[in-house]
Amino acid sequence: MSSTATADATVGRFGSGHSVRRIEDPTLVSGTGKYVDDVSIAGQLHVVLLRSPYPHARIASIDASAARAMPGVVAVYTGEDLKVGGVKVMPTPSPFPRPDGKPSVSAPMWPLAVGTVRYVGEAVAAIVAETRDAARDARDAVMVEYEDLPSVVTIDAALAAGAPLVCPEAGDNWVAQARHGDAAKAADAFAKAAHVVSLELVNQRLAAVAMEPRGILAYPDAETGKLTLRLSSQMPSGARDTIADALGLAKDQARVVVGDVGGGFGMKTGAYQEDVVVGFCAKALNRPVKWAAERGEEFLAGRAGRDCVSKAELALDADGRVLALRIRTDANVGAYATTTGVVIQLLIGPWVSTSIYDIPVIDFDLRAVMTHTAPVGAYRGAGRPEAIYIIERLMDAAARRMKLDPAELRLRNMIRPEQMPYTNPMAQTYDTGNFPSIAKQGLALADWSGFEARAAASKARGRLRGRGLATFLEWTGGNQFEERVTVDVSADGFIEIYTATQAMGQGIATSYAQLAVDVFGVPIERVRIVQGDTDRGQGFGSAGSRSLFTGGSAVRVASQRTVDEAKALAADALEASPKDIEYTAGTFSIAGTDRRIGLFDLAARQPAQRVYVDSTSTVSGPTWPNGCHVCEVEVDPDTGEVDVVAYASMNDVGRVVNPMIVVGQLDGGAVQGLGQALCERIVYDAESGQLLTGSLSDYALPRADLARAFRTELDQSVPSVNNPLGVKGVGELGTIGATPCVVNAVVDALVRGGAPAARAEAMQMPLVPETVWRALHGA
Amino acid sequence: MTTARFTVNGQPVSVEVENRRLLVEVLRDDLKLTGTHVGCDTSQCGCCTVLVDGRPAKACATLAVSLEGRAVTTIEGLKGADGGLHPIQQAFVACHGLQCGFCTPGMVMSTAGLLAECPKPTDEQIVHGLEGNLCRCTGYVNIVESVRRAATALDGTRS
Repeated sequence: MSSTATADATVGRFGSGHSVRRIEDPTLVSGTGKYVDDVSIAGQLHVVLLRSPYPHARIASIDASAARAMPGVVAVYTGEDLKVGGVKVMPTPSPFPRPDGKPSVSAPMWPLAVGTVRYVGEAVAAIVAETRDAARDARDAVMVEYEDLPSVVTIDAALAAGAPLVCPEAGDNWVAQARHGDAAKAADAFAKAAHVVSLELVNQRLAAVAMEPRGILAYPDAETGKLTLRLSSQMPSGARDTIADALGLAKDQARVVVGDVGGGFGMKTGAYQEDVVVGFCAKALNRPVKWAAERGEEFLAGRAGRDCVSKAELALDADGRVLALRIRTDANVGAYATTTGVVIQLLIGPWVSTSIYDIPVIDFDLRAVMTHTAPVGAYRGAGRPEAIYIIERLMDAAARRMKLDPAELRLRNMIRPEQMPYTNPMAQTYDTGNFPSIAKQGLALADWSGFEARAAASKARGRLRGRGLATFLEWTGGNQFEERVTVDVSADGFIEIYTATQAMGQGIATSYAQLAVDVFGVPIERVRIVQGDTDRGQGFGSAGSRSLFTGGSAVRVASQRTVDEAKALAADALEASPKDIEYTAGTFSIAGTDRRIGLFDLAARQPAQRVYVDSTSTVSGPTWPNGCHVCEVEVDPDTGEVDVVAYASMNDVGRVVNPMIVVGQLDGGAVQGLGQALCERIVYDAESGQLLTGSLSDYALPRADLARAFRTELDQSVPSVNNPLGVKGVGELGTIGATPCVVNAVVDALVRGGAPAARAEAMQMPLVPETVWRALHGA
Repeated sequence: MTTARFTVNGQPVSVEVENRRLLVEVLRDDLKLTGTHVGCDTSQCGCCTVLVDGRPAKACATLAVSLEGRAVTTIEGLKGADGGLHPIQQAFVACHGLQCGFCTPGMVMSTAGLLAECPKPTDEQIVHGLEGNLCRCTGYVNIVESVRRAATALDGTRS
């Protein structure tokens, strides 16, 4: 990499390793970003969706005649209309069979319900009008006759004998089962264990609540008929493919364009039913059609996250060495078992269930269950928060039983650096990691050993102080390691880099630009990062904290290939041998001479006025970021209120391209984890099947007062060896660590305050004041 | 239909509106000022916060007809002395007080209202001043820091 320029001082400040201010921000802070609903096309129509008020009902009839006659109304479509129009069921295959061994089946997920609705909020009709108001008015005039059917919204109800069935073809409400590990070996380990701890743990259903609700602007090309959909999406290519399939279009007859994305957090992966509906409307009417989700619709019909109940057991020997981990999980995947929803709980989460601990034996029995609730998909962490919550809660419970310092118990069980690369019982290989070092640094940062003095000070103020710990790792990558990047060095003095990963607030344009600056040695203003257009490039998109280590690595490789190719062109231009050409900070020169040509001047001399490279490259495996998060809380014994008073973390995310962005990801992610621990929960009424948390006044999102004192540090000494940058994914790490360490801290506070351990450990999230107060006082 | 006359970012505006029409719809649809965002439908999120006569107001909960004679300032109307970014906007950039940016115009306008009323806010006052604004990305820590920095910067321009 001799051609990499770092000499120039200006360039050096903007390369990787520096907290460069984000190039995205001047646009976003001045309100000139382009989120989906900010873009309009002359003559566009507006669509609103009529949604089911019943969790389970047969659609007896739909009468849209009055609605169609209302002013401004252009069309009303039902599920039958779409079906007749050639729209297909959206695929929801499960890679795992049912518990009885038969292939998994799920009810057919139509873009608009056909015949039966299976959750409150399932879309039943699409009303298209000249204005949004006209469409809303007409929605009220669509008459649907439902025959109410019995429903189930909880796992227990779904598995009860004689329960109403979500998918009658299945014969029960099971979707799929995965068994991992060795049940017989685990039974032996538990039989000979000196200590066994067992916990019932609920990872409650959550809403991602990206601040930008989903939106769609679909428009057909007048001449070619090609359908363009402007979406708020993390995975433009995957969304395009699914939408095209459902609409019966060839993939190249659909294009997805993505502008600014107002947060994703996993719930904007893949295609939604609404995408197909709006695409259909645009095709059928041959006009631009826009849909903007209302927040209530996002709660009703956006993919939910988590929602599983686990019985988890740990077998330990007399010294506290873990002998085996046994987990039984039932996961509520909603009315339509999507592939994502099943795989997250049955495979992806379990990959990290043993975390950073050298646990020899596992026995997992993991099942997915259908209910009459919105489909469950990915939400920040997607399986790993659930898995890490389980093992970290077990570690604390085991330490309490054995009267050991919870840090000491963890350290005794940690995989040692000399065991790297380490393959865990789920056959996942961690490339690098120094977990004891990270743990010790995190404990020191939090002044773990000085806790008693702070607890005494809290007690003097009438507060119960507790401390919680999570030492953990996670897997990143989506196991899609190939990325395509195009680089266009143009005569006008800019390097435009297109990548199919997708920004949604992570600042990847800035990070990628920094990586390009590393190679090209030009000022960062010369670099433009372009994303979000399936006609320009396709890829997996952004999910699973994969962008930087896959997409960023691909930007590095593509940039280097561009310099190499340009070097050959410079040799022609300078009439020299390529091996004599040096590249420094935007200029090619013949070594030892003053003969030179600038990068952009070289582009100007090319026939197309540019140097263009289309580069595909792969990284060799996932990354395993890890950390030690320590939280201290104060509990008000009179009210049960929890105050997070200290939060310190040491994080190994490998090499860091932009420390400011990385710390922002960790802290923002941690507050989402705090949200799960302390306030967030999607609630369906068990009797009526109604969604009780359908607005931001019912679903408690963290606000500015929740956490203020983060001390977030990065250890860059253990780079990943699976990618050329040495980076590890960072987007989900904070969320994964925060939830268990906060809950562990609250349990600790209650036990120190005199609550029986079993009662404190039985609390389920979110730890709202009532829950905490009841656990403390036994009421 | 009713005619409503008010100013937006100093420019006089006269719009024929149905009584139910919201300020945010007038701003976004009629005036094409799309920096004021809609993040919810229950006036919880604060993404649509603007200033009405200098005080923060949620444009999704403000009827256009109620604005007769009043002065509305949106994110597009916020400018620094040199015509570039306003010191509050600069502070959000400098402190990494935004990630996806969707809540940011509302956060910035709430900050403008807060600092107009309370130029040297304590952290408690900042948190209180932002309680009507939700952010899902940043965890708020850098937003609070942004407000602190903006307060200092604006205080410097006043003295």
